[in-house]
Amino acid sequence: MQHYIEHGPAFAWLRTRLEPNESIVAEAGAMVRRSTALEVETRLNASKKGGFVGLIVAFFVALMRKFFGGETMFVNEFGGPQGGEVVLAPKLSGHILRKTLDGTRTLFVQSGGYLASTAGIDTLLRFGGLRTLFGGEGLVLIQCTGQGDVFVNSYGGITEVPIDGQFVVDTGHIVAFDGALDFKVRSIGGAKSFLFSGEGLVCEFRGRGTVYIQSRNLKALVSWITPLLPG
Amino acid sequence: MRHEILDAPDFGLLKLTLDAGEKVVAESGAMVAMGPSIAVDTKMRGGFLAAAKRKLLGGESIFQNTFTASAGGQELYLAPPVEGDLARRELAPGETFFLQSGNYLAHVGDQLVLDTQWGGVRSFFGGIGFFMLKVVGPGTLFYASYGAIHEVAVGAGGYTCDTGHIVGFTSGLEYKVRPFAGFKGLFFSGEGLVCDFEGRGSLFVQTRKAPSLAAFLHPFRPVQQRGDN
Amino acid sequence: MHFDIQYRPTHSLAIAHLEPEESVRAEASAMVSMTRNLTITTDGPMGGRGGLLKSFKRAMLGGETFFTNTFTARGTPGHVTLAPTLSGDMLAIELARGEPLYIQGSSYVAAPDSVDLDTRWQGLKGFFSGESLFFLEATGTGPVLVNAFGAIEELDLNGDIIVDTGHLVAFGAGIEYEVTKASRGWIASYLSGEGLVLRMSGRGRIYLQSRNPNEYGQAVGSELPPRQG
Repeated sequence: MQHYIEHGPAFAWLRTRLEPNESIVAEAGAMVRRSTALEVETRLNASKKGGFVGLIVAFFVALMRKFFGGETMFVNEFGGPQGGEVVLAPKLSGHILRKTLDGTRTLFVQSGGYLASTAGIDTLLRFGGLRTLFGGEGLVLIQCTGQGDVFVNSYGGITEVPIDGQFVVDTGHIVAFDGALDFKVRSIGGAKSFLFSGEGLVCEFRGRGTVYIQSRNLKALVSWITPLLPG
Repeated sequence: MRHEILDAPDFGLLKLTLDAGEKVVAESGAMVAMGPSIAVDTKMRGGFLAAAKRKLLGGESIFQNTFTASAGGQELYLAPPVEGDLARRELAPGETFFLQSGNYLAHVGDQLVLDTQWGGVRSFFGGIGFFMLKVVGPGTLFYASYGAIHEVAVGAGGYTCDTGHIVGFTSGLEYKVRPFAGFKGLFFSGEGLVCDFEGRGSLFVQTRKAPSLAAFLHPFRPVQQRGDN
Repeated sequence: MHFDIQYRPTHSLAIAHLEPEESVRAEASAMVSMTRNLTITTDGPMGGRGGLLKSFKRAMLGGETFFTNTFTARGTPGHVTLAPTLSGDMLAIELARGEPLYIQGSSYVAAPDSVDLDTRWQGLKGFFSGESLFFLEATGTGPVLVNAFGAIEELDLNGDIIVDTGHLVAFGAGIEYEVTKASRGWIASYLSGEGLVLRMSGRGRIYLQSRNPNEYGQAVGSELPPRQG
């Protein structure tokens, strides 16, 4: 597979050229354009099987989760006997970074930061703590393991921060981080600060590893634009 | 204190390195990441309840956090909420700079004044949403733009700018806000007003504006279900 | 009249330079700033070039705001600066006589009077999302200013390709298109999140944008407070 990250750093998209029978998995809605010869398989990320029955089951699982709360992740797998080209784009403006996993490392990606991965990568939705205390969500993370490439996207620019010790990051600014790091989600500076400081939740990292931070935050955009919305 | 502006002009990110005892005041919500020896203190102008009410109703209020380092070499990353550029302005004692409130990011210097009570504070945006801050030096001001910053040297012919596109302007300019006859949109707060500038000074224009984004996003909001209060 | 586009590709601003008595017609909400020697007329159902029916049709079906403004420089040269709602690039596409350009409704920004605009009703709707496709047909000569959400890709097509319409800015003559399924089967297509997808074929140029306004609107809009139904 050849991949090209084009139009970065502000509006990057991922253009991939697939060999015959090679495939790439992408989050739902990411496709910009593709060769007509490529086939598309839609499924829930956790299940490896598509097919009609698999899809019906996935549909009901998604419905159940929607009613009882929880996250689902639909993905599209592009591939085919002739190969072809597919271009994938994230929803927000920003950059794309490729991380290669060799089977020994784990990469945690914040759910909005996952764009695509190659067939040898396993993805699992995980939950990073501090859920209901103030009605927040904590961190919704995608745990990536296996061998292959993971393509993460950022809202804004990506800054790589090597950690050796301790570091605190606003949860909305986390793109991804090494699985080797310890992390704990907490609110910043006590209850009063949480309600009025504007900083919602932060993640405290400890140990040695890399954290990828993004220079924009969807929740901050929401706070900023809300006073201008009509009723 | 050292400062570095990263990712500009697309997604300006301010990286400050503080030594022990140094502090910076920033708009609430601006913190991206920081080292372990920085304390955060929240200031609410005009008292707890008044400030809370103003924040919820979108009135003239800024919640600010003061970040103080207790050790040397502490890194602090700050970012504005919208995509765009980030700039620094050093203000001399008594120097005045007018800044749209939504563009304020942070400042250094105990003597810098952010005036939200001056005469023209509400006239630029129809009284809803953002307002015009009057910043008086000495101190260092960091501000952001929605989009790129386009600097216009206003001279003899004067200049007209949609108020939502104003980042800031220097003193020495006279301004007059009026409705823009040619605009007939959905009137999201502040839309439809322009400002005529005269005199000599610099006008900083941003190439995108918040009311248009609000109008674009409005149809995508969830619809209120019957039974919600 | 010529367009000078700055701050490409992320936060682009188009400066329309006008010689005395020259005009440019722009989308009503696109004006950022201007010199003070311009007169402005608002084109709507009651007037302007193209008359009642054309403007009305464009407003109702073109997916745009209701009005356009015509800016004319008087006495001396002047300029008006223009920007779209969302971040991204702008491009001035030069039209040649006899070669129409089809522009997605929300991608049009401005053009001089030598360009004629008409609405082409496509009648294409997405099967589940309710998305519809509207195009403006631009004919005549001169530069047409279009905007993109994101960066612009100019693709010279010779064959066929599957395209997500949310990423389509414009295309030239010689290209046919039909709605197609995004995935294998109807349920899968619904779950795939792709919305309206086209199979485009023929020989000609396609302009794509690297972000999708609907995806962006949903991603941000779903986090906003609910609105009255």
